[in-house]
Amino acid sequence: MMAKTLSFRLLVAGVALAAASAAGAHHSQSEFDFKSTVEVEGFVTNLDWRSPHSRLYVEALDAQGKTVNWDFELPSPMTLMRRGWKRDSLKPGEKVKIKAATARHFPNIGYAIVIRDGSGKPLFTGVTQIYEPEPQAKTP
Amino acid sequence: MRRSRAADRSSVIWRWVGIVVLGLAPAIALAQWLGYPTPGIPRKPGGAPDMQAPAPRTRDGHPDFSGIWFANVPSKDYCKEKDCVQEERMAREQINLGIKMPGGLPYTEWSKQQMVSRRAHGGRDDPHTYCKPPNYPRAWTLPQHTKIIQTPDEMVLLHEFNAAYREVYLDGRPLPVDPNPTWNGYSTGHWEGDTLVIETNGIRDDMWLDIQGSPITESARVTERLKRVNLGLMKVEIAVNDPKAYTRPWSVTIEMALQVDTQMLEEICMDNEQDVKLYRPE
Repeated sequence: MMAKTLSFRLLVAGVALAAASAAGAHHSQSEFDFKSTVEVEGFVTNLDWRSPHSRLYVEALDAQGKTVNWDFELPSPMTLMRRGWKRDSLKPGEKVKIKAATARHFPNIGYAIVIRDGSGKPLFTGVTQIYEPEPQAKTP
Repeated sequence: MRRSRAADRSSVIWRWVGIVVLGLAPAIALAQWLGYPTPGIPRKPGGAPDMQAPAPRTRDGHPDFSGIWFANVPSKDYCKEKDCVQEERMAREQINLGIKMPGGLPYTEWSKQQMVSRRAHGGRDDPHTYCKPPNYPRAWTLPQHTKIIQTPDEMVLLHEFNAAYREVYLDGRPLPVDPNPTWNGYSTGHWEGDTLVIETNGIRDDMWLDIQGSPITESARVTERLKRVNLGLMKVEIAVNDPKAYTRPWSVTIEMALQVDTQMLEEICMDNEQDVKLYRPE
């Protein structure tokens, strides 16, 4: 159900986010392709808790069984703190499951859409929220 | 004698522990202020802020805009599952300042040409991607908070992005003639009834109004009309007269919601900016 809803959201997002931004971002998110998502399960190596975007580094195995290091973008610490995060909310070695939009021009970089911590609890990411595509107001 | 030395060592250790703890105290307290009750605001019997209460006033009788503000955007709740994380709410005008204006902003041909490349490049050309200052009026719609401090002679706006500030003089001085252009320009305000009318000139020639790249130039004169509807709501009408960028003067209204039981949190963009390199190279 969750995956289904998210897929729908991302379909909507493909339209809405063409020139839009993720919550907490100060610029367009067009460097990420929200129609192209990846699911990664791995272990946190570092939560880089800095502005303008926090970054979560995760070590995971790729399809060939080779270790890869993922770089996931998140909102700024300011936005995350207001939604309950702390700088040590995810600790090195913690197992995480992440769904992310992939960077258009670089491998193993993404914008985190869904993060589930070691206990399976979802954390606020700022980008699961998708604007309802709002058309330009028409001339009466 | 041994005991005495041990006691001395113990005393020294505890003194250092005390110093370290005191040193950490500001950091500990900082986190606590996110839930710290905003003093002096009307509250309901249960303690919740009474956002519908009348707008507060200063001693001289004018509306008092002091407080922390954030663009107020009620948005659809997409959460269907019990463990879904509720979305953040931001102004749609952050993307397109004229989104609610019939037909959109009245761009000149020059503006349209500017926006063709700006849109094609995504956010690569946006000054904010490069951590440039949060220029008003764009700053009203950004995903950071604005704190207003109001005195009889001056209103100061603090903005979380790059820990920036803006001054609006209320002391009757005229706008400058032939000013050196800056990110926020030069602002004076006067009262028209309960509305604070802020006039601004001296804006730089290369600024954006929104993520999609609507321009604003050195030829612009901006008028902001601030109305505090009640404790919780402020309406900011942004009127732009910029003959280089727009075929006619226009205005839009942004709704700002008072943020209570919170604090300003700095967001220093240059600390770790890494998105510029992610856009498609030239």
